Amino acid sequence: MFKDLDPILHSQLRLAVISLLVSVHEAEFTYLKEETNSTAGNLSAQIQKLKEANYIHIEKKFKDNYPLTICKITPEGIKAFELYVKSLKQYINLKK
Amino acid sequence: MENKDFDPTESMQVISSMINTAKNKLADDGFLLIFWGWLVIAAALIQYVSIKVNFEYGNYVWATLLPLGGIFSAIYGRRQDKKKNVKTYVDRYLSYLWGGFGIALVLTLVLMSQYGIKVTYFMLMVLYGFVTFVCGGILNFKPLIIGSLFSFACAILSNFCGDMNQLLIISVALLCSYVIPGHLLRAKYKSQNV
Repeated sequence: MFKDLDPILHSQLRLAVISLLVSVHEAEFTYLKEETNSTAGNLSAQIQKLKEANYIHIEKKFKDNYPLTICKITPEGIKAFELYVKSLKQYINLKK
Repeated sequence: MENKDFDPTESMQVISSMINTAKNKLADDGFLLIFWGWLVIAAALIQYVSIKVNFEYGNYVWATLLPLGGIFSAIYGRRQDKKKNVKTYVDRYLSYLWGGFGIALVLTLVLMSQYGIKVTYFMLMVLYGFVTFVCGGILNFKPLIIGSLFSFACAILSNFCGDMNQLLIISVALLCSYVIPGHLLRAKYKSQNV
């Protein structure tokens, strides 16, 4: 049976962020910005949405007197990502 | 990248492209392998020559170079960590591997007076072989794995040699398992980061 795609993850930038975070232990905001080729404002808004859904954990600290944001995927985020990929596969198979 | 909805095929493309981005970065630049390889080879050869020419302070080379190397590595590692804006699982596995190796190495050296040179050097070469074998596997870098086999072979060979020659054998083990793969790893790292 086809499951609806998670609306939190079914957005290009949020999905890119989650896909990056699922592959690494933790990543700084600058890394996510470079790899997703997004603007700071947009990325900031999207990671906030992922945080509100409890899919990622955000830690704010300082490095050499500059603010540093570190993002890490949560167990809920991993579960949601796995479910999203599963639903996606079902959806693609249905379309074939 | 925009924040727009998109079809499932595009979703799959985003996922695979992002996962490959994170996966394909080589985690180690090989610098510390080269540094420690040459440092220990230098210490072993200085001690070897000191014994040959009856220079009584040759033993102090280990007591001086190893702690200095440790301090330098700690500072270097900290600086490298600061430069990185991402910590991969490979980084995490490597830090635990080298941390565990460091503890094993110190314990082996501490017990050197009890077990004698031959057993200690055998253990050291086994440890060098072990750490480079696992590191090569984690980084998927064959020269490290091949180098580690040389270190294991040197460990076996050391059983048939006298105390003096242990210094030469450990130098060969380090050249094969640390220095040569370290230079190759560094070249690969540099070519990836041009």
